[in-house]
Amino acid sequence: MSDVAEKGIYRVHINAPIETVWNELVKQDEVLPFFFGSVCKTRSGTLAVGEPMAMRTKNGKYTSVVGKVLEFSPPHRYVHTLKFTNMDDAPVTIEYDLKEVEGGVEFTLTTSGGAAESKTEKSMAQGGPMIVNTLKSVCETGKPGFGASMMLAMISLMAPFTPKICLSENWSFDKIEKL
Amino acid sequence: MITSKDMDAVFHALAHETRRTILDLVRDKPGQSVGELARSFDVSRIAIMNHLTVLGDAGLLISEKDGRSRRLYLNAAPIQMIHDRWINDYTGHWAGKLTGLKYAAEAAARKKGEFE
Repeated sequence: MSDVAEKGIYRVHINAPIETVWNELVKQDEVLPFFFGSVCKTRSGTLAVGEPMAMRTKNGKYTSVVGKVLEFSPPHRYVHTLKFTNMDDAPVTIEYDLKEVEGGVEFTLTTSGGAAESKTEKSMAQGGPMIVNTLKSVCETGKPGFGASMMLAMISLMAPFTPKICLSENWSFDKIEKL
Repeated sequence: MITSKDMDAVFHALAHETRRTILDLVRDKPGQSVGELARSFDVSRIAIMNHLTVLGDAGLLISEKDGRSRRLYLNAAPIQMIHDRWINDYTGHWAGKLTGLKYAAEAAARKKGEFE
């Protein structure tokens, strides 16, 4: 199907200061439990509009997700494209919006632009709730929830089965930039 | 963590067949307008609006303004938090096997016309 999927919205209330939530969201060179245990890497070490970025495994060997920064407005909004390296689908757009509300932050994740019924759309529909809830847990308690911890352990066990296309050497920043 | 009060709101919202059907319809067609949704039901638009308020307060529905109409989206995050509270990957694996078997057997039985 070539139809564009309707956007998906995921929202949680996080009991933490907006700076804490923002810092967790844009952390680099550290394992991000809310992003399936990967590490965000950029060419220059800073996230900025136009910068290509890659979500790599802790040892750097594999790259699961690549994308480009479209908007970067600390601590309220961050938008980037996202492409799963193991899927042929075109990149989708991911928006993170942080709004200060009484007692914390209203955190919204919006996904859009994916082809309807594509693998990427289905992965985001499954991963969206997990990303917002784990970020909530990390910001409020300093650690991911039990479910997410189990999932991270499972992912590291799955590493030997990761397809070759996901090897980081196949995903240079120059290549990501041209996507 | 999700507070007791927030979880009460989610369970209260889910404890009504019409509201569960609303979530089904919005999940199947995200971004539909309130008017379009209301046309799927025989009850009054006012009654549907009240259900939408309950679902919105529980965080299960997100409505976005689009000109003069409102577009509706399902927010799956509160339901994920119910899942996170009682299911982990180990129990989820086995419980999922059981429900998978249940759905497959029931679908097969329906096909054969053995059960209604």
